[in-house]
Amino acid sequence: MKTARPRDMYWVILTFCVAMLPQLLSMPAQLMPIIVLPIAWRLAAERWAWRPIPMPLRVLITIITVLALVATHGGLMGRRAAIGLLTLMLSLKLLETFKVRDARIVASLSLFLGATQFLFTQGIPMAFYAVSITVCAMVALALLHRREAFMPVGAVPATGASIFAELGFSARLLGLAIPVALVVFLFFPRWSSPLWGVPEAALDAKTGLSDRMSPGTIQSLFMDDSPAFRVDFQGTVPPRQALYWRGPVFWIFDGITWSSSYYGRNIRAPERPDADTAPWRYRVQMEPTEQHWIFALDYPALVPDRTRLTLDYQLFSPRSITRLRTYEMASDPEFMDSPNLRRTLRQAALELPADFNPRTRALIDEWRRETPDDRLLITRILRHFNREAFRYSLNPPLLGEHTVDEFMFGTRSGFCEHYASAFTVMMRMAGIPARVVTGYQGGWFNELGGYVLVRQSDAHAWSEVWLPGSGWTRIDPTAAVAPDRVESGALEALGVPRYMMDFAWLRRMKNGFDLVQRGWNDWVIAFSADRQLNMLRPLGLGDLSAFKLVLAMVMGAVLVSLLLLPLVLRLRHAARRDPARRLWLEFQGRLARAGVVTRASHGPMELAVAAGAVLVGARQEIEHIVSLYQRIRYAPEPPPITELRAAIRAFQPNG
Amino acid sequence: MTGIPVTESSAGHDLERRLHLAIEEVNRILLGKESQVQLAFTCLLAGGHLLIEDLPGVGKTTLAHALARAIGAKYQRIQFTSDLLPADILGVSIYRRDQERFEFHPGPIFADLILADEVNRATPKTQSALLEAMAEGQVTTEGETHELPRPFFVIATQNPLDLVGTFPLPDSQLDRFLLSITLGFPDPAVERVLLTAEDRMELLQASRPVLKPADVSALQAESRTVHASEALLDYVQALLAETRSERWFATGLSPRAGIALLRCGRAHAFIEGRDFVTPDDIKAIFPALARHRLTLAAGTEISVDEQITGLLRQVAIP
Repeated sequence: MKTARPRDMYWVILTFCVAMLPQLLSMPAQLMPIIVLPIAWRLAAERWAWRPIPMPLRVLITIITVLALVATHGGLMGRRAAIGLLTLMLSLKLLETFKVRDARIVASLSLFLGATQFLFTQGIPMAFYAVSITVCAMVALALLHRREAFMPVGAVPATGASIFAELGFSARLLGLAIPVALVVFLFFPRWSSPLWGVPEAALDAKTGLSDRMSPGTIQSLFMDDSPAFRVDFQGTVPPRQALYWRGPVFWIFDGITWSSSYYGRNIRAPERPDADTAPWRYRVQMEPTEQHWIFALDYPALVPDRTRLTLDYQLFSPRSITRLRTYEMASDPEFMDSPNLRRTLRQAALELPADFNPRTRALIDEWRRETPDDRLLITRILRHFNREAFRYSLNPPLLGEHTVDEFMFGTRSGFCEHYASAFTVMMRMAGIPARVVTGYQGGWFNELGGYVLVRQSDAHAWSEVWLPGSGWTRIDPTAAVAPDRVESGALEALGVPRYMMDFAWLRRMKNGFDLVQRGWNDWVIAFSADRQLNMLRPLGLGDLSAFKLVLAMVMGAVLVSLLLLPLVLRLRHAARRDPARRLWLEFQGRLARAGVVTRASHGPMELAVAAGAVLVGARQEIEHIVSLYQRIRYAPEPPPITELRAAIRAFQPNG
Repeated sequence: MTGIPVTESSAGHDLERRLHLAIEEVNRILLGKESQVQLAFTCLLAGGHLLIEDLPGVGKTTLAHALARAIGAKYQRIQFTSDLLPADILGVSIYRRDQERFEFHPGPIFADLILADEVNRATPKTQSALLEAMAEGQVTTEGETHELPRPFFVIATQNPLDLVGTFPLPDSQLDRFLLSITLGFPDPAVERVLLTAEDRMELLQASRPVLKPADVSALQAESRTVHASEALLDYVQALLAETRSERWFATGLSPRAGIALLRCGRAHAFIEGRDFVTPDDIKAIFPALARHRLTLAAGTEISVDEQITGLLRQVAIP
């Protein structure tokens, strides 16, 4: 068995390094040396021609490694532990990788290791990363193959081919593989749930809003520019001020933190707007959050699958959202939520912890006496926010025990959750049922793609109060302090430009990038069973069973491969492009049909003798053809090819 | 050239005709060894030296002698023994008292065609004296250089079974021989002729030279002009690269061997009457060229010749 050459070995090691890098970065620190040291040892062994580590020592190292892994992950089950095991074992495999065969195993398994990264993230960067692993592995495998295989037939000896030539070769091979891969991608059967149990905490979810809110929750999302969801409106896009994307609703306040109530999760809404008359229709493509809420404008008229519409009009998904999710939605802003409020709910919407915020309570009691009308009281409070020196701030001072008191009379500076929280508390003090709603407000209209992009930084909190005659009514106290927040977004309200340089071209570029991202989401990640069906139906292939899909996939792949065959052969036999060569192969084909076995290693005259012995009658003709070919191919002034072509076309041996 | 003035082309034609006559003449004496005779002439035209490895009595001497007769060469046979000294081959300088100086007495190597019989029986010192003279075409003793005649052709024989008391030629010196051939036992039909017909030695005495040494030089010059196309060079390179693959031999053919391969290919094509080399030429001479230059990797069961045959079957003709 052959030993891999140093250059080949370096490529194999490079492939492994590229493949294991994300694994290394997410690995517990104590396991890192087990990956890094074998690589270092192997490189040194190549450099200074060290001998392999003896077998018993290797076994010992392996046992220690597995024990270390078990100790770290508490077993070998689970995604992290399993992939960690694969990474560690591959790294240890380097210790005994000297032969071409072992090197090939390492390169191939590195490809597999790279593929496991898709279990964690499936974004565009990951795709580029996967391509780079594949290219490395292809080069390594090609080099190893050259080491082992015979001289490629008819090709210029490639033993000394430059690495650029190898890269080019690998790129061409991969290019040829793309159509086949596309067929497999399009036809591979999709199930509505994944084929194998991708664990709950899948993919790189951005947490976003959660099931509780305390001062600072939304503020922490403020700098997160990553997309939360994208919305395609059918028809007109509602004005910015109306874009309140409803998320978690909070009823319970413990003095600092707001949290959901029983109702918010378990009781279904008694009625919902009529979807047919709802003025806003749109499709939402939502990034995974690992949370339970999907977002819609007030008030949702449709309930997507695997979701329930709760009493307070949250769209709640009992399973957390771990995958990109797309849903159709319709909303009716005119819908009246709860014309009558049940007693238990009213109680829940008025409950406050005792002995908190005495100063605010005193203030509200006084105002309530002066202003018995609910609506006027609300106006008064909002005006208070607006007139007094309240500031909308990204860096409000920390608050102590009596959060609302400190906020109202001390710091007077806060982010949306401070205002929503303080306002809701004051409402409850005044005896008006109130709750906090979180979600997103606004969005970025992408002119290129014609859709609205809502980012994590658009997260927002506001209040809802129940008023007789109008039901639950949205009040956004932040708007009273900083009307810009609602009209143009949080950053503008804070006087922070969204980008360092806000040029039109930069914005276009940003739009373009997000459009690509959305396309990737739409066509690659969310290429679901539905979409597959939509694509196949026009081809008359609708409603195929999984088995038939696999069949179609295999047949399609074979078909595409056959179509590509000429290109593949071109890659292999560059020499065949030569017309004389082609005629010669044709001649050999005719001889073969007449029962003369020829070899690629037959010299022309050798072939003439062999063929003449079998086809005695055609001997003269054969010798004529061979001498013509010989002259064309090897003589200093080759004659034109026409005569050879005529002679070979006329050659009809009957064996 | 003397005698009737001839045009250049007819002179060239005449030379080629006489070359083939010479080959026929040798074949008339050494029966049933056409391909070996052709290889011997190829080696001669390519300006190299020939190594014959075979058992005693299969016609090594006859081939050398017949060849010498046919090309009209001054022929010398040197029987190598373990006590043969370099001076016995190269010659000695003797002090002439009357002239008060040394006078060089040329040794047997000063001939057109040398048969170095059983070359591996001599000591390495003597062997290398011969091989140096072969490589350089001149003899240097005591600061004086003496040119050897041109053409200068050495046919050396080795006895493969002769293991006791031999000094095998090292690889580096084997490389000095352009081709190496084996003769092998004759076919039964040929053997019957050998048993019944005239004595070979008498035939030899009767044979007439067809070529002159000067003709050989001219033929050598002409064979060097034979064309080698790109496609052929591709094949030569593929062959060389394949010998360097670990699958076959301990080490592959050197670039010098590659140059020799092409040179022999040209000579072979010339003898075949072509002005261009084909892969058939290369394949015909390749075993003779490679046999003594390649050694098997340790643990290989089959012989060098079988490996070469397998290798030739492996490399496709471009």
